[in-house]
Amino acid sequence: MTATENPAAQQADQTYRPSTLQRFLPFVVAAVVPFILGATTDDLNFWWKAAITIAILALVARLAWKWTPRGELTHREDMRLWRTPSDRSWAALTMFGLLVLPFILASDFTPPMDFPWATWFAVVNLVLIFAMGAAAFNLLVGYSGQISLAHVAFLALGSIVGGIVGVQWSGGNMWLALPAAALAGAVVGAISGLPALRLKHLYLLLATFGFHFVMMLVWREYLQEYFGFVGIRFKGVNSPRIASWLHWLPGIDPDENGEFIITGQFRWYWVLMPITVLSILFMVNVIRTREGRAFAAVRDRDVSASLLGINVARSKLMAFALSSAVVAMSGVLASFYIGSRGEDSFNVQTVLNYAIIIVVGGFSSIQGAIFGSAFFWFLPEWFKWAREELWFVRDIEFLSDYPSEIDLAIKGFLVVIILMFKPDGLAGMWRDFKNWLSRSLARRNP
Amino acid sequence: MLLAFGNFTADPSVNLQLLIGGLALGAIYAVVALGFVLVYKSTDVLNLAHGEFLMLGAYFALTFLISENLNFFLGVFVLLLVMLVFGLVVHYGIMRRMVGQGFFAIVLITLGIATIIRALLLIFYGPTERARLDLLPQGSFEVGGATVRHVDLVIFGVVALCVLLFFLFFKYTRLGLHMRAVADDIEAAAAMGIDPDKVYAMTWAAAMVMAGVGGLLFGHVTGAIDRSIEAIGLRAFPAAVVGGLTSLGGSIVGGLVVGVIEQFANGHLGTKWREPVAFSVMFVVLLVRPTGLWGRKDLERV
Repeated sequence: MTATENPAAQQADQTYRPSTLQRFLPFVVAAVVPFILGATTDDLNFWWKAAITIAILALVARLAWKWTPRGELTHREDMRLWRTPSDRSWAALTMFGLLVLPFILASDFTPPMDFPWATWFAVVNLVLIFAMGAAAFNLLVGYSGQISLAHVAFLALGSIVGGIVGVQWSGGNMWLALPAAALAGAVVGAISGLPALRLKHLYLLLATFGFHFVMMLVWREYLQEYFGFVGIRFKGVNSPRIASWLHWLPGIDPDENGEFIITGQFRWYWVLMPITVLSILFMVNVIRTREGRAFAAVRDRDVSASLLGINVARSKLMAFALSSAVVAMSGVLASFYIGSRGEDSFNVQTVLNYAIIIVVGGFSSIQGAIFGSAFFWFLPEWFKWAREELWFVRDIEFLSDYPSEIDLAIKGFLVVIILMFKPDGLAGMWRDFKNWLSRSLARRNP
Repeated sequence: MLLAFGNFTADPSVNLQLLIGGLALGAIYAVVALGFVLVYKSTDVLNLAHGEFLMLGAYFALTFLISENLNFFLGVFVLLLVMLVFGLVVHYGIMRRMVGQGFFAIVLITLGIATIIRALLLIFYGPTERARLDLLPQGSFEVGGATVRHVDLVIFGVVALCVLLFFLFFKYTRLGLHMRAVADDIEAAAAMGIDPDKVYAMTWAAAMVMAGVGGLLFGHVTGAIDRSIEAIGLRAFPAAVVGGLTSLGGSIVGGLVVGVIEQFANGHLGTKWREPVAFSVMFVVLLVRPTGLWGRKDLERV
């Protein structure tokens, strides 16, 4: 059969490949738009800005669709981070949303029905921190199949490193504490992963849970030795700040002491968002490389994986080290953001909260970790709003008598219902929605 | 080296007191571990909600025996009956749909159940703590300078009785035989005409009755009945694992061993060492014998 007779080869002839510039231009536009809008349009009102934004977004989506590679993909193209136009549009939309969100939240825009806009900024920042930790948890538990309950132990480790390096040594230098915590997390994580070489499933769960208690002992000893039982203060004089040689950067105006202290939700957002996005992208990249495929092979059947030539021990320890490093970093961020850490910041309930997050969001899906933590933190806000503002909820006294208990019950019921009927969680629902959307679009214009 | 840590004393009466306290604690652990073992042995489910089930038992005991002021035996009967029905609800409502799911999904669903129970108890009983139960004999006597409470002896007796009953049940009754068959190989058992669904339901009911007994007993020795007594479920893990998660007798031995070790760590090193030491013992046992001292070994084929 010659090349011209082969239908696959003919189809491959009709390929279209955009240039690199074309592939990334929509992203660049999406990233630059909010800055230009924010810097140039002070005299426009909110609705004008929204209209311009939507118009530009439509253009970006059109270009992303037009500059889509068509025809058969090579393996290399198939393994790309954002493969399809839909992937790329969603990524651009997310990036755009992340860049615009703080300006909307910081504006004095009041939505109808007293929707709790103002309190949302703190929630958004917490979601960022938790999404990072939950994604790392999911990388270990969901993708690599190494059941570990030592998650909160690494948050505590992050706080300890933040306390030693960030508070005791350098008086509030979070930038030094972050890599230090990542390093400490990787080393201690690899050590805590050692039982995984011998134990599996249930017994691994119990062994890592033992590690939790050992780390709590270390935490208590450290706290008692240097700070007493009140907890470490990461706020006030210990607040992180931008070094003076970086003050030329745009958007940074030092106060009268010549310092730029990171305080308040808006500034924190611009610290937390890039770190979270970068670390989540890092984990996504780990998953789609050789190392990540090895994790999945070990999860599915470690004996078979070793027959394929995968170094099982190395793979398991690597999963523990990577996950723990990111969790320790999120522990440092949480410490400096929340401001003080005492013993009850690291109880068993916190482990369960992370478990709830990854179940509700979607097991073994990084996207699910983000959805889950957003849901976990927004649920109480929505519930509070519904209790105060919605007329048919406001009248039920039972709900306003026990707000936090019913909140807890809702979370419990959700975990049970999702595990029973929709094991993919919110990420699965999102995927179903996108499939439904593309199916109905395809039906309309075949 | 270890002695340099704490206030080690060679005084025999202190050590005897610690030993007795450890055995008493160990008996409680054994009751809890028995609940774990029952469920794990037949259904392969690690029930992380067992601490909450126990808390439920303790609160129901409060309701039936203190608030309603029923006759002791009638009250205990009602308590165990309610727990049994609750176990059937848990099986037919939730766990039945989870058969065949992944290991961690099932662990997480028990966590979901635990969260629901905690929230409902908070709603219906409130966060205020109640005085502990005082229906079992309250006195104490002295042996060699150490105090022995009557309650501890009663707990000991009840635990021994429970283990004996379960042992006889598994060995000599038809349902016990069915349970063992299902635990061994569910497909082969089903092919022999055993209904695994019914067996699982019975298992959950039995475990819940055990949790009722445990709640009743633990309600007598805990400081106060409040929402923190669920922690006994986590603290009894080392006991269940040391004994082996599939061995009824192992849960007794594991409970006593871990209880005594914990009590000695508590007395000589300080309270904060209690959980780390218990979990370290568990860890060492896991490394040496991954299925506990008397656990069933599973072969794995590729």
